[in-house]
Parts: sequence; structure tokens; C-alpha cells
Amino acid sequence: MSNDRLGMLFSRIRVEEKLLIEAAHQRGVDLTLVDSRDIVFDLDSRFDFDVLLERDVSHAHALYALSLFENTGVQTINSYRVALTCGDKVATSKALRDAGVPTPDVKVAFTRESALAAIEEMGYPIVLKPVTGSWGRLLAKINDRDAAEAVLEHKDHLGSYYHKIFYIQEYLNKPGRDIRAFVIGDEVACAVYRSSDHWITNTSRGAQATNCPLTNEVRDVSLRAAQAVGGGVLAVDLIESDRGLLAHEVNYTVEFRNSIAPTGVDIPNRILDYALEVGRHAVA
Amino acid sequence: MKKVRIGLLYSRVRAEEKMLIQAIKQHGGVTLELLCTNDLVLDFGDLPDVDVVLDREISQSRALHVLNMLERSGVKAVNSYDTARIGGDKVLTSQQLAKAGVPTPRIKVAFSRKSALSAVEELGYPAILKPVDGSWGRLMAKIENRTAAEAILEHKSHLGSHYHSVFYIQEFVDKPDRDIRAFVIGGTTVAAAYRSADHWLTNAALGAKTYPCPITPELDALCTKACRAVGGDAIAVDLMETGNGLTVHEVNCAMEFKASMKAVQTDLPALLIEHCVRVGKEKESGGIHE
Repeated sequence: MSNDRLGMLFSRIRVEEKLLIEAAHQRGVDLTLVDSRDIVFDLDSRFDFDVLLERDVSHAHALYALSLFENTGVQTINSYRVALTCGDKVATSKALRDAGVPTPDVKVAFTRESALAAIEEMGYPIVLKPVTGSWGRLLAKINDRDAAEAVLEHKDHLGSYYHKIFYIQEYLNKPGRDIRAFVIGDEVACAVYRSSDHWITNTSRGAQATNCPLTNEVRDVSLRAAQAVGGGVLAVDLIESDRGLLAHEVNYTVEFRNSIAPTGVDIPNRILDYALEVGRHAVA
Repeated sequence: MKKVRIGLLYSRVRAEEKMLIQAIKQHGGVTLELLCTNDLVLDFGDLPDVDVVLDREISQSRALHVLNMLERSGVKAVNSYDTARIGGDKVLTSQQLAKAGVPTPRIKVAFSRKSALSAVEELGYPAILKPVDGSWGRLMAKIENRTAAEAILEHKSHLGSHYHSVFYIQEFVDKPDRDIRAFVIGGTTVAAAYRSADHWLTNAALGAKTYPCPITPELDALCTKACRAVGGDAIAVDLMETGNGLTVHEVNCAMEFKASMKAVQTDLPALLIEHCVRVGKEKESGGIHE
């Protein structure tokens, strides 16, 4: 039995969580599973682990839980700040730009009228993305003004005020695939191409993952993107454009089930290596 | 002397914004840039050229996005992005107040209906359920028993926004039929008003009456401490009177002060603008490069 005390926040045990739990057990880690559906925080809650690995599927729950855990002195992976930035596409784009990481052009507007004007200025096609969202949900490629008007009006009626922050991104003609690189601490562990006939290349939407060699450019852009948002365990999404690789998204609760086989990298154990290292530093 | 360029961030011109624009025009040392979020398109490269942005935006999410972006590009924000983020969020506010040792009501935070119900039962009835990011007393619920708790938790979980599934549960504080709203600008408690109503909610937006409240040393000490706890420049602090002294339950960043102005003799808009000028000049002399 090691002395490593690790907490894991989850709400649903997906394949990823199963693999992480198995790996922790094999290594004799003292693992505490925290189900976000059961936990109640007080302002003076205390936990008997040194580091918490956040694996909740809900961004809102993850964000609040990270803040509450950090407040009790627990180290978290990733940090609240990282989740705050990565959970918001506007904040991510700004962080990437400020750090000089190549990233697509973006405009942000707050009303249908100003959003439409911004789209027309950028020129069609463009991509509208929810500022908070994953798995390719509600991504809209807009080819003309009619589509822009219709989609903007529908977004306006979606209820959550987050849909009224209009995030408009230039459309990039990528070669039927994008790249997802896994950054763990200071290293790029591996990367996959995600290929699809559809312009949305999320594996949760049926894209196929194949190994992507870690070229210097993939390493460089991914590491800098991860550092720009604060670093940790992150998946950086890259587009191959005629301006070179562009980082367009950084994910902080990383899904990796489809990337283990093609890359041959034991991602869950690599994540645990890093988490335990952080925990040991926290104790020391 | 170079004039301080103040950007007023807003989407609706209420009585407060009218007073602020008036105060800016009367001030000799400032220029005004109106930053209406309805028209604003942020393209990251070309951001508004101002020294200080005064946040008067009623939409919290718009305010946060713009403040974060401007601040990262070297503009001073009143209040800062972090203060707006903390002050606009009940969980973060409670955390910061408790950490700073400011008396504040007991709370619990839960993420599912089931765990929220057990947290309510543990805290005891009546309990207050609040949206983590609301204003004007909207969606505040006083829960007297388990039946009410079950119904309201279920309704909250159907409200659409994910943020309604973060359940913020606060103990009910048995206060007199009033609370206190105090204004802290530049580290000083400059004004305070009682807000009184027959209803347990004493928000001016819901029709509470305001009348002057003396700034006692206790009130001043608590308010300035609460302001520091959230890193505030200019905020309104809401307090309740309990058997054990005052307790702070909320801080407000882009605060409304129209109703309180009737009760207090202080020229809040002028003080607010004066503070922005101070912040702008500090930025200038601090040699921050853009």
C-alpha cells in the first residue's frame, strides 16, 4: 500500500473513470471516490486526501466543486482557474491569443443584431459555438445570412443566458480531420487524428481516431496552449490550416477512451503518475 | 494634466447610469466612452481604448466576459473581473467572507436534488434556497418544510440553466423587518440605508422602503472587511441584524443605488467617478505598459 491519498470526483462512471479506478487500485493508491450527486459542502468541509482528480461530466458542478475543494486546501487536477478558462471559449481564446499561441480568429457579440453584423464582417462560412459546451453539441456552421438569422434567433430562445453570448469563429477548411493532443504536466503524452466526413470531428459524434505522430509543431503548439490556460491534464484540439497548426480548444476533463488503442499510450496511468506527483508535492 | 478615459460598460441606461454620466460630464478631468454591450463586438485585437472601465452591465455573463478581456489587455476595471466574478456568485462570496472571518450565514452547497434535500434537512427549516448567480431577489425561496423543499428542488432542476443545479442553501436568519445596504467606495463606508418590508425579502427592487442607517464603527469595520474579502473597489454590502450582531449575506458589484439615494445624503455617483479617476491615475503613475 502506498501512502498516496487521491480523491476522484465523478458523477457518472464512464470508461475513463473505470480505467482510472482500476489503475489506482493496481498501484495500491488510497482512493476516495466522491460522487458529486451525494456530496454536500459546508464552508468548513475537510477531506482526507491530498489531491483531487476532477472527472465530473457537468461543467457547472466541476467548477463549483473545484472551488470548494481548493478552499479546503486540497490540490486539484485541474485547478479551478484552469476549469474557469477552459470551460469558457471566450476566456480560452483570449488566453491563447495573449500567450501568442496560433488560434482561429474569433469575434464575440451579445445581441442578435451585433452578432449578425460581426458575422457579415467576417464573411461566410463561419462557425457559431456555445461558450460553454462539449461533444460538438450546438456547433453550427453558417453558410449564409438566412442560416445566420435563423440560428441566432434559435440560440436566443434556448433559455440559458450562456447561449446569448455569441462566439463566432472563422471557418477553417481542414483536411477532414483535426488533432487532439494529450498534455500531462510538461509533456505531450500522445495525439490522435480525429477523422470524419462531417465537419464536426468529435469522436463522440462518430469520428475515427488514429495515431498522430508527435511532430515538433504538435508538441510545441499543444504545450504552449496548455500552459496558456494554466497547465495540468489537458486535451488540446488543433486544426491543420494553411497558417500551420491552430489551437482552438483546450479540454480540462479529458475524455481519452478512444485514444489509448491507436496511440498505444497508457493514458490513465500517465494521468495517475502526474496526479500522485502533484499530491506528493502538496504533502511535502 | 492628461484626462482619465472612463469607459462605461452598460446595456440599459437606468437612473443610476444617468446620474453617473452626469457626474462624468461635471468632472473636469475625465472623458467618457460609452460601451454599450448591445453594440459591442469584441474581436480580441481591437479593444476599446480606455484607462478605466466602470462596470454597470446588468447581465453578469456579459460583464464578466468583457471585464476579463479588457483587464487582460491592461485596462483597470471597477470592479475588477475577479471581484465581479466572486461578488456575482453566492458560493464564491460565502467562501471569501468566511475565509476573511466576516460573520456570514451558514450555508451548504449540493449538486443533486437528493443531496440538496438532505442538506436542507440537516440545516433545518426554515431554510433559504438562492440561485448562485441571481439578483433583485429573483428566485429566492424560503422553505418551511420538506414538502416545499421537494417541490422547489424539482422545479429548480427543470429551469434550464445548468447553474440552477448548483444548490445554494442558506440558514434562515431571523432578522427584524429590515436589512442594511451599505456602500463601500475606495475602502471607506460612505453611506448606509435600512431597507424595510413586510416580506422577508427586503430588496428595493421588490418595493422595500429605505431610510437612513447610521454608520457605526461596527458597521464600518464589517463592511470594509467584506469589501477587502472580495477585493472590491466600490461595492454594496448587504447585512442583517441578528441577536449576535451583524452578519453579511451578500455583496453587490455593479450596485444599484437609486432607492438608497433617497435615504442617504451622500452623492454616490460623484464618489464613484472620483474613485475611477483615482484608479486611472494610479494606473498611469504605476507605469503599466499596454
